[in-house]
Amino acid sequence: MKNYFKRLIFGPIDLIKGLIVTFRNLITPAITLQYPTQKQAMTQRYRGLIDLYPVKCIMCSQCVKICPTNCLALTHKEGPDKKKELESFKYKMELCCFCGLCAQVCPTAALYMNKIYEIATSNRKELEINLLNPDKYAEWAHPTVR
Amino acid sequence: MKMSNMHSEQLCVNMGPQHPSTHGVLYLDLRLDGEEVVDCITHIGYLHRSMEKIAENRTYTQFIPFTDRLDYVASMNNNLAYVLAVEKLLNLDVPERAKYIRVIVAELNRIASHLLAIGTFAQDLGAFATPLFYCFREREKVIEIFDEVCGNRLTYNYMRIGGVQFDLPEGIDRRIKDFIKYMRPKINDYEGLLTNNPIFLERTKNIGILSKETAINYSITGPNLRASGVQWDLRKDEPYLVYDKFEFAIPTGKNGDMWDRYRVRMDELSQSLKIIEQAIAGIPEAQATVKAGRMIKPAAGEVYFRAESPRGELGFYIVSDGSVNPYRLKIRAPSFSNLAVLRELVKGVKVADVVGILGSLDILMGEIDR
Repeated sequence: MKNYFKRLIFGPIDLIKGLIVTFRNLITPAITLQYPTQKQAMTQRYRGLIDLYPVKCIMCSQCVKICPTNCLALTHKEGPDKKKELESFKYKMELCCFCGLCAQVCPTAALYMNKIYEIATSNRKELEINLLNPDKYAEWAHPTVR
Repeated sequence: MKMSNMHSEQLCVNMGPQHPSTHGVLYLDLRLDGEEVVDCITHIGYLHRSMEKIAENRTYTQFIPFTDRLDYVASMNNNLAYVLAVEKLLNLDVPERAKYIRVIVAELNRIASHLLAIGTFAQDLGAFATPLFYCFREREKVIEIFDEVCGNRLTYNYMRIGGVQFDLPEGIDRRIKDFIKYMRPKINDYEGLLTNNPIFLERTKNIGILSKETAINYSITGPNLRASGVQWDLRKDEPYLVYDKFEFAIPTGKNGDMWDRYRVRMDELSQSLKIIEQAIAGIPEAQATVKAGRMIKPAAGEVYFRAESPRGELGFYIVSDGSVNPYRLKIRAPSFSNLAVLRELVKGVKVADVVGILGSLDILMGEIDR
């Protein structure tokens, strides 16, 4: 009985306390970004798609070895002046878990992660990226990638 | 015919696997007598990805990204428990600064995880959207800090064997201090919204009582155990990293009901803020990583390490045969034992409370199924 009256008196008071919180939040400015029109800048360390400076690559294959999901594959050949030359560098984006181990392990920082995050596509073939092609994101479906 | 002689058939209700309040893909086979739950059989395995088997085919470093996907709302704590287990196997000591950084990020993630737990718990009880959105707003701040620190929002992959991936970026300590200053009044907001709200109290007080004995028998850990009145926190009882240098209390409950479990999480929020504040003040200026070598090859042996994750005791048992891959890796996930007790808790309660009890246990299917 005592509890009943206690609840009867203090219940509405606590309800009003909660309402005060919601009303205080009602007058604060909106904090959400309207996504397609407004975009947040990516942070400096943001891990987007894997990207490559082909000139810097020394073909040590450490990135291929460290990758937990085997999404990278590279081949090299002997160039005209008997120097090693990159032949192909394939990046299977659908397997990538964006862990960043490859970029961390690269001794010459040839491999890095760019800031591209809108990577949805309707064509599965586009998920396999040739990292040697300088125009590699040109055929990408989404306009913001370029 | 007398009413007492009448018997009705039990009704079987399939709750899940796709159900908004099962926090993932959990299938509950509920047997109801009228509106009362008679029995509840949990079926798990819908999110099984065979993490433990994957570990046997990966090197020690390669498995770190996979630990992110165990408890995906507290990835830092998963990373931490795993790298500490490997470091224990290697007998590797990490620099003091790395230890402080690890404490800071782990506690920040504990806050993010508890905020999600409180928000979804309130939503499960019917407080639609408001507390959840407020909690998500604050959680977003933590996630933004993590985005700056390691470059990702949920799957951080920040810890490394022998330290952390990067040192903290410049100016982040001020941002974390700002967050602490911002967060303290927000906790009072939640208190005003939920703690003494009569509707919330009616739904949570004296429902789903988990007694001390049952909790210990089912090896419940984390906030759920502490809500039952057992003062057990690995950060205090088996201190790892630099937790023994900080002052913080272990909040405990009395009855072990849903409200106590909520209360313990709320108190842990402010305790975590307290730890972060002390860690930021005491962080030494030094190198944050130690070279553990690119190929990690521990000597043959076995190790078990447990750490306090937001959901309880997260343990990694690693058997090494001296090669680059673990011979066997077993994960002791806290949510697994926390879910096991559900059957005891829901017997005799109304069907609407099943959702609330499940929410108060704060299970996460990612680490139950692994």
